[in-house]
Amino acid sequence: MTSHETYLLNRAKLADSHTLEVARADGAYGALRKVFETSMSPEDVVEEVKKSGLRGRGGAGFPTGLKWSFMPNHESDSRTRYMAVNADESEPGTCKDRVLLREDPHCLIEGCLIAAFAMRLDAVYVYVRGEYRLPYDRMQAALDEARAAGILGDNILGSGFSCEIHMHKGAGAYICGEETGLMESLEGKRGHPRPKPPFPASFGLWGQPTTVNNVESIFNVPFILDRGADWFRTLGTESSPGNFLCGISGHVERPGVYEVPLGISARAIVEDLAGGIWKGRSLKAWFPGGSSTGVLPADMLDTPMDHDSVKAAGSMFGTGAMIILDETASVVRSALVLARFYEHESCGQCSQCREGTEWLEQIVDRMLSGQGKAGDVQLLTDLSNGMTPGKTICALSDAAAIPMLAAIKHFRSEFEACIPTTAEALV
Amino acid sequence: MTKIIVNGREVEADPQKPLIAACHDHGEHVPHYCYHPGLSAVGSCRICQVEVKQGEMPARVVAACRTPIAEGMVVNTDSEGAHDSRRECLEFLLKNHPLDCPICDKAGECSLQDYSFQEAQAEGRSSEPRRKLEKRKDLGDVILLDQERCILCSRCVRFMDEVPKSPQLCISGRGSHSVVETWQDAPLTGNYQGNLADVCPVGALTLKDFRFQARVWNLTRVPSTCSECSRGCSITAEVLRDGEVKRMRPRPNENVNGYWMCDHGRFSEGELNRSDRMAPAALRDDAGQLTAADPGDALRVIQNLLSVQSQALLLASPYLTVEEGEAFSQLARSLGRQASFFSPEPNDLRDDVLHTGDPCPNRRGLQEAGLTPMSSDEWAAASAAADCILLVGERLLDMLGDEALAGLPATQRLVVMECRASDHPAVDVAIGVPNRVERSGTWINVDGAAGAIRAARPAPQGVRTIVDLLADLTTTSGQPEEALSS
Repeated sequence: MTSHETYLLNRAKLADSHTLEVARADGAYGALRKVFETSMSPEDVVEEVKKSGLRGRGGAGFPTGLKWSFMPNHESDSRTRYMAVNADESEPGTCKDRVLLREDPHCLIEGCLIAAFAMRLDAVYVYVRGEYRLPYDRMQAALDEARAAGILGDNILGSGFSCEIHMHKGAGAYICGEETGLMESLEGKRGHPRPKPPFPASFGLWGQPTTVNNVESIFNVPFILDRGADWFRTLGTESSPGNFLCGISGHVERPGVYEVPLGISARAIVEDLAGGIWKGRSLKAWFPGGSSTGVLPADMLDTPMDHDSVKAAGSMFGTGAMIILDETASVVRSALVLARFYEHESCGQCSQCREGTEWLEQIVDRMLSGQGKAGDVQLLTDLSNGMTPGKTICALSDAAAIPMLAAIKHFRSEFEACIPTTAEALV
Repeated sequence: MTKIIVNGREVEADPQKPLIAACHDHGEHVPHYCYHPGLSAVGSCRICQVEVKQGEMPARVVAACRTPIAEGMVVNTDSEGAHDSRRECLEFLLKNHPLDCPICDKAGECSLQDYSFQEAQAEGRSSEPRRKLEKRKDLGDVILLDQERCILCSRCVRFMDEVPKSPQLCISGRGSHSVVETWQDAPLTGNYQGNLADVCPVGALTLKDFRFQARVWNLTRVPSTCSECSRGCSITAEVLRDGEVKRMRPRPNENVNGYWMCDHGRFSEGELNRSDRMAPAALRDDAGQLTAADPGDALRVIQNLLSVQSQALLLASPYLTVEEGEAFSQLARSLGRQASFFSPEPNDLRDDVLHTGDPCPNRRGLQEAGLTPMSSDEWAAASAAADCILLVGERLLDMLGDEALAGLPATQRLVVMECRASDHPAVDVAIGVPNRVERSGTWINVDGAAGAIRAARPAPQGVRTIVDLLADLTTTSGQPEEALSS
């Protein structure tokens, strides 16, 4: 494969990259200074991010600049304005934000402050997955350093702009990574997602205008402001510009987090970066972007990894976290593992999700224990279709149903093989 | 108001309320569990799905309880997509439901049952084990919880949070492990627990008082008004075939009680079902015994007493209706006396929700009818000075107390028109009257709102209405005996 330009993880390769000293020497807070010194208006910053075409890296791929522009006009709406940075990275397979928080927290702080300036925020909350101890500590230490250096708090870098960034530790619930569940959790309540509308931009944290962005989305912002939207668009594809962090796991030789341009073929990631399928085996199936995205068969590995291409292939780009299953893996068993995960993580508000996630798990579990029955595959399909699309308050129900439907679509025979034939059943 | 189209009909919708309210206001029923017009909407049960088309966007199925009204939206509550969504939702809800309808008190008024029939969800496809949960969880004096029947709509939790503002219930556990509970199984407290059984759309929360008492389809439901305080909550009195009042439940009334009533009022039916009723008429005979008499004779005796005794005290029960109060006033005027009603002390049940603490359901109505309130102390003075006392209406003897009657001068004549029997030696004439589920009339509540009470069952044989009895006494006052009608 050809080498490609990288920017997200360059600093992470330096020793002690998480410290202010190393980060500053590498140019950290240059973009922030540029924003202040070139007297860009907040609207100019939003416009630049819009122009860059940056799409959210948290899973949905919603244009970040557009999301920022949903914040109400500050002149007609004087309420307190917040941003919540979603670092509750809990999607099975996804492990990219952990690297960013751990290795380059100052870049995230810089991105937060630029976003805060652009949206005239009063405070930023970083909601970190509870298990991320080192990333949390590194981020907290970076905030302390930044504050001591006049980069955080009042009158940042002498610009007259003030903003505070607060850390919050999650307690292990997947649902708190859902943006409205995250806000409820931040408010000190159970992480029960809120029905939308109202959307966070009009009624978010404590009822105030709020935007919720993924760590990697915010992480891209300093680079866009520093090097320009036009530079950003030279990377990736027309509809999905930029690089993304691909966390690849499963049956590959070198699992890990790799920085690649959007639009790169999945095959290039698996074969060139991750060293191919492990133990000389061949590929059976792969999840393109985390456990919630539909599984795809081996013959679709040439799919370009960008939002539109993966969607066209019948799945979702998600968080770009690829999960690889080799030829020995059971798709049905992996469906059970995921069904069990979603059953465990459903908050229980919506009927379809609470009952459906449990039911799916029970059926697949029964099928794998040799008790499959005629009609089970159809029932799995019907139940999954009853859980998606958009039938519940949040997308957890969809997240449970979509991989099940995809697994049945591409690997139906494996499911059917779990149903004993009449002759076997009589034995 | 905003114009929207519901099932092909243009209607005016209140933009402050969710779409489901507009549908209901215009007679288009949309199934719902978690939605309750008196509580906040959480949009979690997902059964209230309707098809909505807005502008150029393709039609989509949305939860009507969380969809805001928008000008020109086209709503179809009956689309195939909406029905499909509801059927799916029901299939999920029924998956773990015990389906013990034959022994469930809610059967017949259960939304899970109703919608399942409506949507023709007749066949279960689950062969998985159903959740085993607590079937008889004691939530205190009023409510029993069956966790297996619960569909986790959270209405009960929100009711406690939002109405009595006494957050005692919660959903604990997550996902399929969710259950409704009180903190550390503490019993529920407060005067509004009974509403939990009403808001529960299924048979999860039932009234201990009503468990296995009646099948609801055998109940006759009559709109009426609660008697236990001057709020006068609109209620439904529910009477079983044999005439026993089995249940009283709140009836929605935006101006008075919203959707609720207190337990004090709800569980006051015991008084209405007592069997020791006063005979239609009884007179003290020569042997000093109170014996059944011809009602006409009894009325003539009363009439004679009232015309002879010049210091008669006319005291009504606070449960008299406006109409009865007016008849009583008229009688008093014809005798040149002042009619009063007994006004008990305020009780300590007053709260910020509904209960006013004033046990007189018709204080305003009786005052407007010309009756003056008489306190306990005033009664003591007035009764000692009177040569004849006429007590009219239910529960008055209990309110005054037997001791008060025992202290009356021996020369004094006492006429009692009551519901419950009394053989008190002071009583000279006794006339049975109907209680508040056996007669009709009007009470005026503390804010001046009229509340009708309606006969939910016939009065005991031979018992006449208070209005008729008082009218007869009035028209015969000073008239020849032949004019008596009975």
